[in-house]
Amino acid sequence: MFKNIIIGQYIPGTSMIHGMDPRAKLIVVFVFIINLFIANQFVSFSLLTLYVLGAFFLSKVPIRFFLKGLRLIAIIIVVTFLLHLFMTREGEPLFSVGFLTVYEGGVKQGAMISLRLFLLVVMTSMLTLTTTPIALTDGLESLFNPLKKFGVPVYEFALMMSISLRFIPTLLMETEKIMKAQMARGANFLHGSLVKRVKAFVPVLVPLFIQAFKRADELATAMESRGYQGGAERTRFRQQNWRGLDTFVLLTVVALMFIVLALRWLS
Amino acid sequence: MNKQPWRPIDMTLAAMFAALMAIGANVSAYLTIGGVPITFQLLFAILAGVLLGSRLGAASMTLYMLIGLVGMPVFAQFKGGIGHVISPTFGFVVSFIAVAYAVGKVVERKSDPTIRTYLFAGACGLFLNYLIGAHYMYAAYTLWFEAPGGFNYLLTWSWMAAYLPIDTGVVVAAALIAPKVKKVVLEARPAV
Repeated sequence: MFKNIIIGQYIPGTSMIHGMDPRAKLIVVFVFIINLFIANQFVSFSLLTLYVLGAFFLSKVPIRFFLKGLRLIAIIIVVTFLLHLFMTREGEPLFSVGFLTVYEGGVKQGAMISLRLFLLVVMTSMLTLTTTPIALTDGLESLFNPLKKFGVPVYEFALMMSISLRFIPTLLMETEKIMKAQMARGANFLHGSLVKRVKAFVPVLVPLFIQAFKRADELATAMESRGYQGGAERTRFRQQNWRGLDTFVLLTVVALMFIVLALRWLS
Repeated sequence: MNKQPWRPIDMTLAAMFAALMAIGANVSAYLTIGGVPITFQLLFAILAGVLLGSRLGAASMTLYMLIGLVGMPVFAQFKGGIGHVISPTFGFVVSFIAVAYAVGKVVERKSDPTIRTYLFAGACGLFLNYLIGAHYMYAAYTLWFEAPGGFNYLLTWSWMAAYLPIDTGVVVAAALIAPKVKKVVLEARPAV
């Protein structure tokens, strides 16, 4: 039952997008999302759609992984579209079904909002599909580095995230082991009332918490005995490297922003 | 914010608790009743406050949110990724930070916390959980889903009300098991 959590969403690959610097990808996705909310013209949305399509083909990630990500809000997108279709009363009435009349404005409004959400989900999925969580953690750390001046423990949080990411699979396996051990002793997680089932979980939670605390203690001891010091001039094991390609992709999305802005002002 | 230094044990505890939360969100695979998936998120967030205190509890819940955002499928029903920010239910993930912090603060004030302390702490947590969760949901529907007409503030809260009995049960359960878990966990640890 826990199989899929260990893999995460990352799909290994060697595409151009996989090879980009995580910092560049984070900034590009962020600017792209701003673009989506600035856009209010048909032409703008066509350009943004083309951009996403281009990224999709370059990433070489099979489409089914994107569809998996879309499941998340597909229903909301469809409901939003239908609501706008029937509730927005602007422009020419197009046709009516029973007491519901569809107006031109409703179709436009609904299509725009659902397309915006659709592109947003695809673009953000692209980020997590082509970048490992650990690379994104490193990327976020260096992007948020300036906040250190204001006392935000950026470095510490990045380190804690790495530890968490490392130990999720371990603790998951431990959970399964404990659950099996309790089942062997007659625990029943699958039947009975809600209260009974939740109660059956207490004998799982207690050993699990003890295990987690033990691991934390051991790891802390290991760090201290190796002379760990945070904030010192530490060198990095995983290096990031910003290449010309990263600058180029960043420029394309910024250029797109100017076009979308211009189209908004001209309308 | 950074007054106290982060000792290795602080960091490893917060990190482990974030990992525990990831599990708590998804052991519900076993506990679906009447189509409503039960998650242990609220329970774990309360326990994070009880066991780690306000500062580390809040840190661990922040970590949980962050590792979900960088793509680990740790949110309920194995979801994750930056796109989750626009999900109407993301507010609950954010609220757990406040929940753990508030619970930690309430429990820290008492030198000898009783079940009543834990109940009150849990109630404060639940209040913040709903307050932040409902407002985020409302914001999501009005700001980026741009739901027209019919949708209003009251509707959001009437949705929330459906979950209130279960969540109240969770708070009571948390208050009942918190002293036990705290005692056992602290006893099992060597003095740090």
